[in-house]
Amino acid sequence: MTARELVARIQEKVAAEGIAWRAETRDTFKAGDPSTVVRGVATTGMATFDVLKRAAAADANFVVTHEPTFYNDKDLTDGLETDPTYVAKQRYIAANGLVIWRFHDHAHALRPDPLIAGSVRALGWTQYATPGDPRLYVMPSTTLRALAADVARRLNDHGLRVVGDPDMRVSRIALGPGYGIPPLTADIDVAIGGEAAEAGGNAEYAMDAAAAGRPRGMIVLGHLMSEDYGMQEIADWLHTFLSDVPIRFIPAGEPFSNVQ
Amino acid sequence: MASGGAVTRRTFVVTGAAALLSARAPRGARSVTAREVVGRIQAHVGVPWREKTVDGFKAGDPDTAVTGIATTVMATLDVLHQAAAAGRNLIVTHEPTFQGGADDAGPRGSDPVYLAKQAYINEHRLVIWRFAHHWLARRPAEFTRALGTALGWAAGRDPANERLYTVPATTVAGVAAHIRTHLQIRGGIRLVGRADAPVRRIVLSPGTTDLASTVANLRDADLLVSGEPREWEVVEYVADTAAAGTPRALIAIGRVVSEEPGMRACATWLRTVVAGVPVQAIATGDPYWRPAV
Repeated sequence: MTARELVARIQEKVAAEGIAWRAETRDTFKAGDPSTVVRGVATTGMATFDVLKRAAAADANFVVTHEPTFYNDKDLTDGLETDPTYVAKQRYIAANGLVIWRFHDHAHALRPDPLIAGSVRALGWTQYATPGDPRLYVMPSTTLRALAADVARRLNDHGLRVVGDPDMRVSRIALGPGYGIPPLTADIDVAIGGEAAEAGGNAEYAMDAAAAGRPRGMIVLGHLMSEDYGMQEIADWLHTFLSDVPIRFIPAGEPFSNVQ
Repeated sequence: MASGGAVTRRTFVVTGAAALLSARAPRGARSVTAREVVGRIQAHVGVPWREKTVDGFKAGDPDTAVTGIATTVMATLDVLHQAAAAGRNLIVTHEPTFQGGADDAGPRGSDPVYLAKQAYINEHRLVIWRFAHHWLARRPAEFTRALGTALGWAAGRDPANERLYTVPATTVAGVAAHIRTHLQIRGGIRLVGRADAPVRRIVLSPGTTDLASTVANLRDADLLVSGEPREWEVVEYVADTAAAGTPRALIAIGRVVSEEPGMRACATWLRTVVAGVPVQAIATGDPYWRPAV
């Protein structure tokens, strides 16, 4: 089976789930020859150079990545053609016969969203889910400080950051994937997700809410800490209809380390 | 004549400002309105004023007599409390005020936090004016220069590239420790790359950090100090560069923290532009903290 044929199988499965393939989508081949015969599949949060080395070592020559390969959302390579990092990555891809395909938009369209489901499983929050609202999790009351510490431990997240009063009580949590942290409202206590602009959104809202005597919180996990676990779910999903090729999850891992 | 006129005006405005602390000007008293302050800023900023810009009044009456000016990175409710307590009723902010990129309340129009902020602004007759595009457009670049100076690196500024600094030989971890002692950071420092890698040349990128400038500048430097890098852009690029065998590192300090020195510089500049009105910088503060795990 070639990479192109494998993608067609994914598209058939997505269609069977009632999701129409978008005319404009991020979910396309990003590097390598789609006619390459697939020896193994690796799913990952991000096809970093380090992930590609691990994929090649595991003989997984078809890489399904959730995030970009070439440092921008559209994987545009204008301006990168002579950049040594870009050139080295492309050379490595060619030398090892790798094919990279992005699975983002249609992955998020699956129900439940595997990118959220992966975080929920890693957090151990399945029992707090709310029927009818896939983003809302209601748990026994705790403090923002205790919740943040628990989340950091469960995800092994070193770069996790929090906005809001550490001693505020929290019970109602809105969980979103990646850059899609749900906006804070009066109805939820804390919003959790991967990455967010520091200005013009939840960070300012949480600071204003504290000053207004209505404390709210935000926990920023890091983009990969929020979505990498979900690509394990994608690997599991691929297993349900691709039995003729080895499939594994290769975590991109957290890019940040904490320095004191 | 120009300087004599300025002194006269300054004396007059100081007297007027003292009388105006209650924001109730006796009719006919000369004072400067928020609109007039903005007119002076536009006349002196040194870059053409754009037709389309986010810079403008975001709340309050532009004809309010100004008793004092506060510059800040982000006009949070806490910053507004401090400004009102200090009698600074014109707030010059770099970032949006109403929890949305376009300062449009959008679905938050009936939100209690949004309404509390608007009520506080009205009750204290504050005026909020955003100064982002044009303060950013000045050259030399104000935010970069101010951050470099705040970090004590002014002597190492590259004359040919204002984002590039040479520092005494250290390591990535050494720079991180240095940043912690020079900036008001609570939880925001994150590191990509090896902490023990040697550092001599540093690229400064306060605010958000784009890929194109990083690709161009990082060839000549060991380390990028960034405000808010995106994980699928510059973070991946630095990690890949290191994985490709070229040692490079990134220290992310947070957008607000990286912009505080630039808005302190803005207060200093405003004192030269608007005579007779007290001007101070009010720190927004690092929004983030870290849990002890």
